[in-house]
Amino acid sequence: MKRTRFAKTVASLTLCLAIGAGLLVSPSVDAAPSAQEVMEKAAETRMVDGSEAVVKMSIISEKGQVRERTLALATKIYDGGKTEKRVYRFTSPPDVNGTGVLVYDYDAKDDDIWVYLPALRKTRRIVSSQRSKSFMGSEFSYADVNAPTLSDFNYKFVKEEAAGGEPCWVVEVTPKDDKVAKDEGYAKKLYWVSKATYAIRKGEFYDLDGKLLKELNSKNIQLLDPKKKRYRTMYMEMVNKQNGRKSVFESEKAALSTNLQDDLFTTRYLERP
Amino acid sequence: MKTQSALAKFVIRYPWPIVAFFVVLTAFFAMQLPKAELDTDMKSQLPADLPTRLDLERIEELFGGTDMAMLVVEADDVLAAKTLERVRVFSEKMQRIDEFDRVVSVFTAKDLRGEDGEMIVESAIPRIPETDERREALREQLAKNPLVLGNLISKDYKYTVLIGFLSLEAEDEVLLDKLNTLILQTPGDEQVFVGGMPLTRVSLTKDMRKDMRRFLPIGLVIMIVFLLACFRQALGVVLPFVMTVMAIIVSMGLVPVLGWKIHTVTILLPVILLAVANDYGIHLMARYQEDNVPGLKRTSAEIVDRGIAELTRPVLATGMTTVVGMLCMLSHVIIPAKQLGWLAAWGVGFAMVGSLVFLPAILVLLPPAKPIATPTENAARPSASIIDRLLTVMAKAVPRRPKTILLACVAVCLTVGVGAFKVVVDTNPMSFYRETEPVWRSTHVLNEHLGGWAGVSVVFEGDIKDPKVLQRIDDLEQHLRKHPLVGTTTSIASVMREMNRVMNDGDPAFHRIPETRDLVAQYLLLYSMSGDADDFEKLVDFPYEHAHLMVKVTDSGTKAATEVLDYTRAYLAQHGEGAQPMLGGLLDVMAEMVGYIVWGQIWSIALSVVLVGALVGVFMRSVVAAAIAMFPLALALLMIFGIMGLFGIELNLITALLSSIMIGVGVDYTIHFLWRYRDERRNGLTPELAVHRTLVTTGRGIVFNGLSVVVGFVVLIVSTFFPVQFFGLLVAISILACLAGALVVLPAIVLVFRPKFLEP
Repeated sequence: MKRTRFAKTVASLTLCLAIGAGLLVSPSVDAAPSAQEVMEKAAETRMVDGSEAVVKMSIISEKGQVRERTLALATKIYDGGKTEKRVYRFTSPPDVNGTGVLVYDYDAKDDDIWVYLPALRKTRRIVSSQRSKSFMGSEFSYADVNAPTLSDFNYKFVKEEAAGGEPCWVVEVTPKDDKVAKDEGYAKKLYWVSKATYAIRKGEFYDLDGKLLKELNSKNIQLLDPKKKRYRTMYMEMVNKQNGRKSVFESEKAALSTNLQDDLFTTRYLERP
Repeated sequence: MKTQSALAKFVIRYPWPIVAFFVVLTAFFAMQLPKAELDTDMKSQLPADLPTRLDLERIEELFGGTDMAMLVVEADDVLAAKTLERVRVFSEKMQRIDEFDRVVSVFTAKDLRGEDGEMIVESAIPRIPETDERREALREQLAKNPLVLGNLISKDYKYTVLIGFLSLEAEDEVLLDKLNTLILQTPGDEQVFVGGMPLTRVSLTKDMRKDMRRFLPIGLVIMIVFLLACFRQALGVVLPFVMTVMAIIVSMGLVPVLGWKIHTVTILLPVILLAVANDYGIHLMARYQEDNVPGLKRTSAEIVDRGIAELTRPVLATGMTTVVGMLCMLSHVIIPAKQLGWLAAWGVGFAMVGSLVFLPAILVLLPPAKPIATPTENAARPSASIIDRLLTVMAKAVPRRPKTILLACVAVCLTVGVGAFKVVVDTNPMSFYRETEPVWRSTHVLNEHLGGWAGVSVVFEGDIKDPKVLQRIDDLEQHLRKHPLVGTTTSIASVMREMNRVMNDGDPAFHRIPETRDLVAQYLLLYSMSGDADDFEKLVDFPYEHAHLMVKVTDSGTKAATEVLDYTRAYLAQHGEGAQPMLGGLLDVMAEMVGYIVWGQIWSIALSVVLVGALVGVFMRSVVAAAIAMFPLALALLMIFGIMGLFGIELNLITALLSSIMIGVGVDYTIHFLWRYRDERRNGLTPELAVHRTLVTTGRGIVFNGLSVVVGFVVLIVSTFFPVQFFGLLVAISILACLAGALVVLPAIVLVFRPKFLEP
């Protein structure tokens, strides 16, 4: 008994010393946020009041065949950040040119989605109870491209490691329960978050059996809104480690546009040639 | 010792080295046996350049695996919450089995609807209904979903199926183990079956292996009993028995030596050898007993000397005809059937040489056995066996009315032979099983209620987004749906029809292929946004250059598969312009393989009739001899195919291959008869007396020989497979027919026509 207590005391003392030493070395004490805070910050720095961009999506098969689509995209924040409205218009390949998608992404309820097909000359509201696993047939899933509900997960620092040439925190994100895990399809995710910009530089996604499924790498992170310190990742590459397929999302142009007209985010606009 | 032949001299001088050589040789092959591997893969049995195999490989290259394993769940109402919950767990866990590329179930299926300017994409079962009202509402909704009813759920809601597409690397047995574990780990009241082609393959192989393990011991025991009854002497049992066992070891041991594997077909080898390999030993022992007469006090060497002198030529002749008969199987296209030909020929050849060298060497080393009375001149003693008495009766009857006997036999055979026209060529794995077997049950349910057990593929090439190409696919699909043997069909064309209807507010008038290429492209894009792009993985390739029409067949026989394939080909030939679609799939491969085996076997029999006949002609130095020797065989063949036709036994993989034994073995009896008859005529007997003497002496060996083959086949009655049991009986009958041919028809012919080659 006695010996144990003694040992414990020694241990905590050593720990104190170690932390103390750490504090001495570290330049600023309050710059070390928690793992969850890092992920919150990472989500926040991606939130732009309004933007315009041209995105090229390349979906590459395991045989190296490429399917390319280009779309123009505009976003705008409403209700103080509770709703984001997005409008996409495909410009290539020619057979889908003019196809438009309008999304009202609500914080608290299911998204509203409308699609306009020029060959049909009709707009249809899409009511989908299920989020398909893949985003437009790419290796990105909806869960990968959309901001997840942060409170559904547990966060833990794993290590610090450079990624994309920047020092990063490596955060392990695990779902709090089975339902979240199954909905998302991952047992675990690892994110490499830049200490400087809070941009996600690298990601690893593990399937429900715990095997590495996909790897994300990003490049060319641009400061879109210097005032609010908001960033946009211009190049994202997702490689499926299990089937060898790859998808690349590359923003060709991206700009902060805070005063986009509300008219842009309507079905009427979708149908305009 | 004045009759000594070179062979006899050799055997009598070096008995020990000969025995040692044969023992060491057998031991060598016995040691190879554990190295023999089983191979159940269907594709590897086909030559690499076979069209169906190439087609299948091309399809797999484009769309991945097309082979399906199913889980069938049976309940009073599959929509009951408990049942659905179990199915949901199955569905989830199946998707995590590595051997599957893709899993389709009521929980992966979608419900696509269009109304009031909306396109609604939901899970076919959005949530498991807990109340009666909700369950009935779900039932109503499912009834409208063409993807589900009659496809994933039976129309009476008693069955539901989960379909897994096998990845190309998947191994059948590993997969089935996982599925069976999954069923055990997810307990419930519902009956759950595994089904589909992988199960059929594994069941067939497992049961064949089981059969082989059962055949051999039982077959050997039956043989011992039979030999004991024939020879009433330990020596007569042991020697032919040992020879047979050695032949089986040596030929099975050759499989790994040549780097081959044991295929489904190879399993017939022990059965063939069990029936054939003891023949030469039996003749040797019959001769031994005949020469080992009580009064003469001959030494072992003297008896062996006489035996070898008398038997070398007939044994070589009969052995060689059997070997040639077996080698005719080399004309097969299917690799394992070819291999079976080599292996059986090698085993028979070994038994033949062994019976002339190894067995006599043993006899030389042993003191003469106690003589056993055999009927020769003064037949029909009270002690004589039934066989001996029967032979004596025949020996008296045949010379009296040869013409009547001949005509009667021909008449009977021709009458029965008419049935041969009714023989159906079909290999249906399910006909091998009784209705209580799980594999039969699952296949039956799949075919009856869930749109089929296995598939055929049609691959279209071109710009798949082009409405003209889609229309072509759709036309064929609609045409195929009219065929009674076609169950579920799936294609990108039917998906596009459905999308078109949904996007036009569900108006049935729009249930057709979209009119423009752009609209097709936009529907595809839309589906990739709201549905699962993976849904099309099996239907269209990545660059939209090939489309895959999957057609499930609702009958597990090769005849049905061929019928559907022919129906498709006929349509394509009529409606084809430009590049022709490619037809293929596992069912196609199976049908072609079985077709090759069955028809190959018919050719092989025809070939062996010619070659074996020619061989007899050479031995007897007479063309007439060839014709006469083959005549009783032709009658026997007519009998066997006639009976098959009359009793509705299909000519399938197994029955066709087993019939290969007929010619090589059947001709032996004729050769033995002709040989002895000629000898007796040369010894100065009249034709009538020569027939009589041949029947009571050599006739005995012939009957023993024939009965040993019959006994060998009687073993098949313990088979797991129903038709195999029946076929065992059938071969037994046909060998009896061959016997009758040699002992009744042939003597009658000889007496009626007095062919020159038999005259002194």
